[in-house]
Amino acid sequence: MALFGKRKAKPKKRRIVFLGIDGTPHSLVTRLVAEGVCPNLASVLKEGTYAPMYSVYPTVSSVAWSCMMTGVNPARHSIYGFVDRKPGTYKLYIPTSKHMTSETLWEYLSRMGKRVVVMNVPVTYPPREVNGILVAGFLAPNVDKAVYPTEMAARLKTLGYRIDTDPWIARKSKDDFLVDFRETLAGRGRTLLEFMDREQWDYLHCHIMETDRLHHFLWEPMERHDPVYEPAFYDCYRQIDGLVGEVRRRLDEDTTLIVMSDHGFCTLRQEVYINNWLRDAGYLSFSSGEPKSVADLAPESRAYSLDPGRVFINLRGREPEGTVAPGDEYEQLRDELAAGLMDLRDPESGDPMIEKVVRREEIYHGPHFERAADLVAVPLRGFDLKGAVNRPALTFKGDELVGMHTYDDAMLYVQGARFTRTGFSVVDVMPTILDIMELPKPEGLDGVSTV
Amino acid sequence: MGNQVGFTLWFTGMSGAGKTTVARLVEKELRNRGLKVEVLDGDIVRTNLSKGLGFSKEDRDTNIRRIGFVCDLLSRNEVIAIGAAISPYRAIRDEIRAKTGKFVEVYCQCELDTLIERDVKGLYKKALSGEIKNFTGISDPYEAPLNAEVTIFSDGESPETSVARVIAKLEEMGYVPAGDEDDDYSDEEKGMVEDRLRALGYM
Repeated sequence: MALFGKRKAKPKKRRIVFLGIDGTPHSLVTRLVAEGVCPNLASVLKEGTYAPMYSVYPTVSSVAWSCMMTGVNPARHSIYGFVDRKPGTYKLYIPTSKHMTSETLWEYLSRMGKRVVVMNVPVTYPPREVNGILVAGFLAPNVDKAVYPTEMAARLKTLGYRIDTDPWIARKSKDDFLVDFRETLAGRGRTLLEFMDREQWDYLHCHIMETDRLHHFLWEPMERHDPVYEPAFYDCYRQIDGLVGEVRRRLDEDTTLIVMSDHGFCTLRQEVYINNWLRDAGYLSFSSGEPKSVADLAPESRAYSLDPGRVFINLRGREPEGTVAPGDEYEQLRDELAAGLMDLRDPESGDPMIEKVVRREEIYHGPHFERAADLVAVPLRGFDLKGAVNRPALTFKGDELVGMHTYDDAMLYVQGARFTRTGFSVVDVMPTILDIMELPKPEGLDGVSTV
Repeated sequence: MGNQVGFTLWFTGMSGAGKTTVARLVEKELRNRGLKVEVLDGDIVRTNLSKGLGFSKEDRDTNIRRIGFVCDLLSRNEVIAIGAAISPYRAIRDEIRAKTGKFVEVYCQCELDTLIERDVKGLYKKALSGEIKNFTGISDPYEAPLNAEVTIFSDGESPETSVARVIAKLEEMGYVPAGDEDDDYSDEEKGMVEDRLRALGYM
């Protein structure tokens, strides 16, 4: 509280440096700090509070970061996954910033006269205008098209900036991926420090996507103490810690550091293909022997699934060839599907695979509610729910993708502050930031400040 | 937009079933895509083009024929003409369909009970009390389409969904180019982005 007193005496408004570390679990941070892998992070954590945080359903980065940057639930910002179906069709599209129907934190800050620098956040492509600089993140096709204002692209290239690591490299070779990780993070770090030093900003946001990739491809070897890849995994965090040190050295007393991850991670036991279950249970059939997507479903189908764990009823009046009547028939089918999903067992171990099935009205509310999946299946740890339609069996375990997201165990750290409660989620981050910057909150936020 | 396809998009349904609401939203979406659109709304047409006409079967038919006539003129000149009128009689609608060629019928379906309950304009109350005569659905028949290209359910879906379904149908028929849902990426970029999602197991 002393800090708040001190702040009042100062006319200067607070600035923020925000580090997003995609998919870094709270429990992992605790361990890395305890084991001395991340000394700079350890020093930083002592200067404020950090706590576990919940993610969002479904737990993927595009949805979680959309919630973070808007402070609202998906039925308001319209981003429900990495792919979604075009309303009124079975065709899939890839949601981008154009489909996001809410104002982002940085757009709001721009409107309030603040200068922002935002780098690499998912679902910010194509870049929307801000008062400052925005470099779009995951799913931006190239640096030239990722940047607002466009002149900034040349500068990024000089700094060796890359949008993302290449997951195909990771699938082929973990060693090559580690090189890719190092180089991509180095370019991002150089750019962050250059922006920090040379640009004017009130809010500076850097998103590190590399950690999510590291976890997808190396979490399992890390957890089982692989002699090569466990140390390599920690080395990646040493590199991040080095960057944290560089950032910390540059902070002045008017600047607050925030570190956040958007979901947790665990070892993947099985990929689970929900559409296979729907097909085997008679809810789904395809008009083609080799379906490519849900667009190929046969008209008599009653339900289908999109990644991860989103289940849609083939509802009459909503889907082009809907078979299920709204009202009782719809509700009965939802009950039946929820019960069926809860009964799913891992064919190898016999273990249950689903923790719970939530109905959309339990978790979403807002003008774009109708776009939401009718049910969202939440898996138990280790069971990664997938939306593919062309898989030979219900489950699959490969040796490439070996980590998966968890809804719990995301994290939030705020320098110089104390959380007033526990059990908050990604949607609460934007109002927290506005509180720290001593700015009024826009109307209609779902999130509530944590400080 | 040199070579846009002209056609007539005809909304039919009882009073309060959502014709104007959905027609206006479709108009907005099509204009956003750079297309030329005109809306002939039954309520508005009756204050100019069909001023003086009443609600007898004959006058109703004349009114619908006039709207159909203008829609035909517009669509022949590569404009999208949207007609939104109760147009209760099937024969007249089919007559316009036969005349105009490119004709897309949207049936705005809604349960009569719901319409009476909703009664946004207060007309059903007046019709039920006999204050308004020849009121479609109460004291005059409504003949639902047998082969509407799209049927929307204003008591079961949001206007956003209805609009999306109408637009999807128009895209499917090739009357309007595919929307900008995919336009953020060129074909090559889209392939790249999908490939990336596949590598991460998201597709």
